[in-house]
Amino acid sequence: MQVDNTLLSKLEKLSYLKVSEDKRDEIITQLDEMIAFVNNLSQLDTDGISDNFSMTDKSTTLRQDVPKCNPQISDDILAHAPNTDEHFFIVPKIIE
Amino acid sequence: MITLKEALTLSSDELEAFKNELRKKIEENSEINAYIDVKSVGEGVPIAIKDNIQVKDWAVTSASKILQGYIAPYNATVIEKLKSAGLTPFGRTNMDEFAMGSTTQSSCYGKTLNPCNKDCVPGGSSGGSAAAVAAGLAIAALGSDTGGSIRQPAAFCGIVGMKPTYGRVSRYGLGAYASSLDQIGPMTQNVEDAAILYDIISGYDTKDSTSADIKTESVADKLNASRKLNIAVLPKYVQNASDDIKKAYAKAIEALKSAGHNIIEKDLMDPKYDISAYYITATAEATTNLARYDGIRYGHRVEGSNLQETYIKSRSEGFGDEVKRRIMLGNFVLSSGYYDAYYVKAQKVRHLIKDEYEAVFKEVDLILSPIAPSVAPKFGELKKPMDMYLSDIYSISVNLAGLPAISLPVDKNAEGMPVGLQLIAKAFDEQTLFDGALSLEKEFCTILPI
Repeated sequence: MQVDNTLLSKLEKLSYLKVSEDKRDEIITQLDEMIAFVNNLSQLDTDGISDNFSMTDKSTTLRQDVPKCNPQISDDILAHAPNTDEHFFIVPKIIE
Repeated sequence: MITLKEALTLSSDELEAFKNELRKKIEENSEINAYIDVKSVGEGVPIAIKDNIQVKDWAVTSASKILQGYIAPYNATVIEKLKSAGLTPFGRTNMDEFAMGSTTQSSCYGKTLNPCNKDCVPGGSSGGSAAAVAAGLAIAALGSDTGGSIRQPAAFCGIVGMKPTYGRVSRYGLGAYASSLDQIGPMTQNVEDAAILYDIISGYDTKDSTSADIKTESVADKLNASRKLNIAVLPKYVQNASDDIKKAYAKAIEALKSAGHNIIEKDLMDPKYDISAYYITATAEATTNLARYDGIRYGHRVEGSNLQETYIKSRSEGFGDEVKRRIMLGNFVLSSGYYDAYYVKAQKVRHLIKDEYEAVFKEVDLILSPIAPSVAPKFGELKKPMDMYLSDIYSISVNLAGLPAISLPVDKNAEGMPVGLQLIAKAFDEQTLFDGALSLEKEFCTILPI
């Protein structure tokens, strides 16, 4: 068994998620089953194959550094955000 | 239901009358739950839109609680293209939450039923789009395909679904699941309509850095079912499929032969490796893409006593179980100590999969493959998450290699459920893909009425 409660706690921390007590055993079993399955890749010989995979052969497209702005988009996002004031998102106090 | 080709000839008065009728029909068939809601924006031929494609001023939520309250502030490039071509978004369709699923059961809006048998899943994740077209509630729809999410529901509901080559259709405005795999594509009543809608939405877009900067030729006006093609079949590869699929596969081979195509036997790597490479890659990318949903800038927020608690509460309450599983699996394969063994290994395996396809396409024009190992399962049949992942066995290598593929109905089983198969082409050869699909469709129209 590769996944245990300690690993699940680490994954919760990395994921900013909290798994409820009544679901922990179930999710440990499910994650363990998935990880056991994907371990089958170790059966394939991949020596000498590049570890980078890109969907295109071309490098990142470059473009002229011309500023573009549609302020209506940010206004609309702010208008529908959970908590805003003027042009700011309001979050809980960060500095004590 | 009129076809897209026919609808494009209607006058604006005829279209308005049609849309009023369509609204009524959607309300009468609300039990199927194909649509989340119906909103029309402007004149044009109505097209159903999956709930992860941005339509300005619409609530676009990827069927997730975490995006409740979000209103799209801009149009996806595909929506701009629809509007320029005289089409209009008309209703958003149900889907698995964040496109993570094969059954459309993980939506926060409840499950969608398969119009062919309401006890069966419509497939997923674009299950709402597939069900809308199959039930005669949409002329055509847009879906998105990360690991089969257009093609598999199309097969389960008996319609045509097409995934373009990666980079052919702009992803600007598509809610990202796995950025190196996602593509938007058409879901239609027939192959010609799929070609028409593909022509409308495809093409280079400066707003998507992975968009292919090459000339996109139209295909619908050049469709040619009479072309004689070399088509690979995969006798060993299909061995794990159900009898319904094997029977349909054999029928399709005979139909292609009788249409004059040259059939060549080939084999592909055991697809169990595709599943592993896919679930490692997709969950790793999803983990990164879904990090933005933290309750601060849009969607659902649950206030905590500090910022970190707000993130954790918003995400834990906002995401469903399947999404949480995939985020955590993604963080596992990306985390220190596991990264090389899982994420890097999966990228190397993608090279093997892509190279294998390229070798096959040196000798053939198309590959005939199953799209799913069975017809649409009944609700509750896929009990564990792993059962659902294994059902993606025939669809995901196409995404890993970035190839174009089209799923079309070729048979029905004894219970009357549709059986779809897919044709796969080499990258950017959509013309051959549609030509072959049209030829197969014509054979079945004459040999096996469906």
